Amino acid sequence: MNTGKTKSNMLGKVWRDYSFIFVFLIIFLVYAMTSSAFTWSATMNIFRHSAVIGIVALGMGLVCLTGEIDLSAGSTLAFVSGFSVVIFNMTGGNVLLTLIFSLIMGAVFGLINGFFVGVVKMPSFIVTLATMLIYRSFAQYFCQHISKDLIGGGSSVYKMTSSYSGYDAMYGFGNGKIATFPIVGLVLIIITVLFVYISNDTKFGKKVYAVGSSEKGAFMSGINVRLIKLMTFVIMGIMVGAAAFLWICMNGSSDPATTGNSYEMYAIAAVVLGGIAMSGGKGKMIGILFGSLSYTVIDKIIIALKMDSLINNAVKGIILILVILIQVAGPQIKERFAVMKKDK
Amino acid sequence: MALLEMKGIKKSFSGVPVLKGVDLTVSKGEVHALLGENGAGKSTLMNVLTGTIPCDGGSIVFDGQQAKNITVRKSEQMGIAFVHQELNLFNDLKVFENIFINREITGPLGMLNKKEMIRQSRELFERLGIKMDPCAMVSDLRTGEKQLLEISKSLLTGAKLLILDEPTTSLNNDEVEHLFAMVRDLKKKGISFIFISHKMPEIFSYCDSYTVFRNGEFIGSGKIADTTPEEVTKLMVGHAREQGSYEKRKTGDTVLELNDLCGKGFKNISFKVKKGEIVGFTGLQGCGSSELMQCLFGITKPFSGRLKVNGKEVTAHSVHNSMKAGIGLLPANRKETSVIPDMSLIENMYLAEHTLSACKFHINKKDEAGKYERYKKQLNIKAESGNSPIVSLSGGNQQKVFIARWLNTDAEILLFDNPTQGIDVGAKEEIYKLILSLANEGKTVLVNTLEIQELQKVADRCLVFYDGQIAGTLSHEEIEEHTVMMISTGSVANGNIETENEVETQ
Repeated sequence: MNTGKTKSNMLGKVWRDYSFIFVFLIIFLVYAMTSSAFTWSATMNIFRHSAVIGIVALGMGLVCLTGEIDLSAGSTLAFVSGFSVVIFNMTGGNVLLTLIFSLIMGAVFGLINGFFVGVVKMPSFIVTLATMLIYRSFAQYFCQHISKDLIGGGSSVYKMTSSYSGYDAMYGFGNGKIATFPIVGLVLIIITVLFVYISNDTKFGKKVYAVGSSEKGAFMSGINVRLIKLMTFVIMGIMVGAAAFLWICMNGSSDPATTGNSYEMYAIAAVVLGGIAMSGGKGKMIGILFGSLSYTVIDKIIIALKMDSLINNAVKGIILILVILIQVAGPQIKERFAVMKKDK
Repeated sequence: MALLEMKGIKKSFSGVPVLKGVDLTVSKGEVHALLGENGAGKSTLMNVLTGTIPCDGGSIVFDGQQAKNITVRKSEQMGIAFVHQELNLFNDLKVFENIFINREITGPLGMLNKKEMIRQSRELFERLGIKMDPCAMVSDLRTGEKQLLEISKSLLTGAKLLILDEPTTSLNNDEVEHLFAMVRDLKKKGISFIFISHKMPEIFSYCDSYTVFRNGEFIGSGKIADTTPEEVTKLMVGHAREQGSYEKRKTGDTVLELNDLCGKGFKNISFKVKKGEIVGFTGLQGCGSSELMQCLFGITKPFSGRLKVNGKEVTAHSVHNSMKAGIGLLPANRKETSVIPDMSLIENMYLAEHTLSACKFHINKKDEAGKYERYKKQLNIKAESGNSPIVSLSGGNQQKVFIARWLNTDAEILLFDNPTQGIDVGAKEEIYKLILSLANEGKTVLVNTLEIQELQKVADRCLVFYDGQIAGTLSHEEIEEHTVMMISTGSVANGNIETENEVETQ
């Protein structure tokens, strides 16, 4: 009896702490069963398609751990990817400069968010809602109002000039594979490892958790809460910058009207699915990887079932509610059962 | 005739008895002072009476009727109103809206009949002799006016018994005078008051009778006219002075020096502390000692005056600078201010030190575990492992982890703000011993507490605060509950403490 109880407790704990793995496995199993074209390379492709959203979600995870939110991620992605294309075209295809620009531009946008949220102490929801509108608007406006040469001759799309020498290198990076594994997927894995390390084994990571867990307690232990929040937003910005760079490598262009649309929402969904509490302080970075992979697999399932892709978001939304429902309602139901047992 | 008779009320919280069968009788049309030290069980009893918490045993008779299973709603209907220390008003609503909240007068289709509500409010204010505009925003009112509003609000519902929980802490003298003028008027109309306060002068000028509790027990009651502040204080504190393991220590150079320091909640504070000394701060809630500690730790900036730590003048006030100067603060309200609930105890321990060594990015888990084991031994922390969540520990053990947090930063001056709050008796003893042994090792400790017995056990000397200022300084031998209570309630001026004390001890 006793051992049975501890066993179920253990299982409960594993479920609570690693529910994202179960969710991923279940979704993946459905995919394996429904897809007629279930092959090794199709499976590897999941990583490729998760790269951009996964990297954004990792940055978002860090912001969410402090109890804040960044709604401007998608718009930042649109702006940074668009202007990275411009820099690429301006420098005659200099890959290194384009990459550096992406990261710095992302960091600057993150710094702006972080300044208002961390230093001025404005609510992050409102600040990033505003910057979400601003950044996307800029991306669209400048696309129409700068020299056509800089945007690759297109009319409403930032297009990389494919004749430049750097183009092949970037396109190859965005679409190439190393031993059947997509390079961008590898980038995602490396960044995930980096984030797992930062959150588990560095002083900065622990401070991020502390700020999200108890802002007052963190302050009283001498943590500079403002600086930590500012830094999480800057790191978030750098991640979006990196994601923007991957985006143009993979696509060769960026449409300011659609690129990164709703990506902040997908990223937040992946973060939540990955087990990170939106109130901050709780959750594991590794969960975010599984969260974003799960969402990519859902896309694949819908394609495999030959359903209209417009139903995508409905399925994603339902799965999100179901998973969180189990997490939230589960303990409540358990408690009620415990009370009933006691009464008997 | 008794309006309220509570007999043998018992209440335990998770096995710990807070009320051990107390009695309270309030007559019609009197102001009854309910007295006792912090934690004597006054608030618990009032919460039982107003139905906020159920009691475990005893009987309550109100207005001739046996009252059973009191709920908040029922107590309101019976005519009991609780005017809380923290005012339960909605700042963003108007005065009349506050009065009629949840009992709005409505017309057809649920439309609010504002005119009628305003008229009734005006009538109510007239009856009570209060000058207040029913249409004013509550946020624009002064604290004193809010207090009056709170009282009038409960009178609208026809309260027969009003509980005033330290109503005067945030009022100035005029407002206190006004408040009690109103109380006196209402008294004549047959309304009774239970008055909870620590301020002896008020109690003796405005109350009719008193009841004293100590440690959840009924100690005595009677008419105010038949007693003196000294007698009441004696009843409140009792006499059980135990001998601790205190002994005089050698102290070193001056490490902390305050010169006429003024800040939020305290003013003109000057004193010096030597290395290895244990200095106690005490006073009643809101006396400014806690605020002073926060200022010393750099949380708030002083308005004026000078602060020297280790001989160096502190100019840039911030938590980080204070920590670098070797100051650590164990704040009051452990749960909100110290605990990082989602983290393990080892993480809770090393967090503060990491802000000082932030440049070394990587956490060496082995080193941290080693440090933890060392502090675990030194402070006798009882925990399964360093990786258990902090919330799984008892209050006393949590507090030890937070002491370890500051030892870990090599803090030389330790500020302990109410260190034994919510800790059981055994763990309290351990904390006192820890404080003494830390001082023996050369740490300087400042302890702010409301419990005088604690100071008797550890403090070399004790600064008593009253109204943001140091009202008296007592040496170890002089620390005695009665004396401290007299100073901290403002019953005696600083000058004649000595003589009072002599009379008392003879």
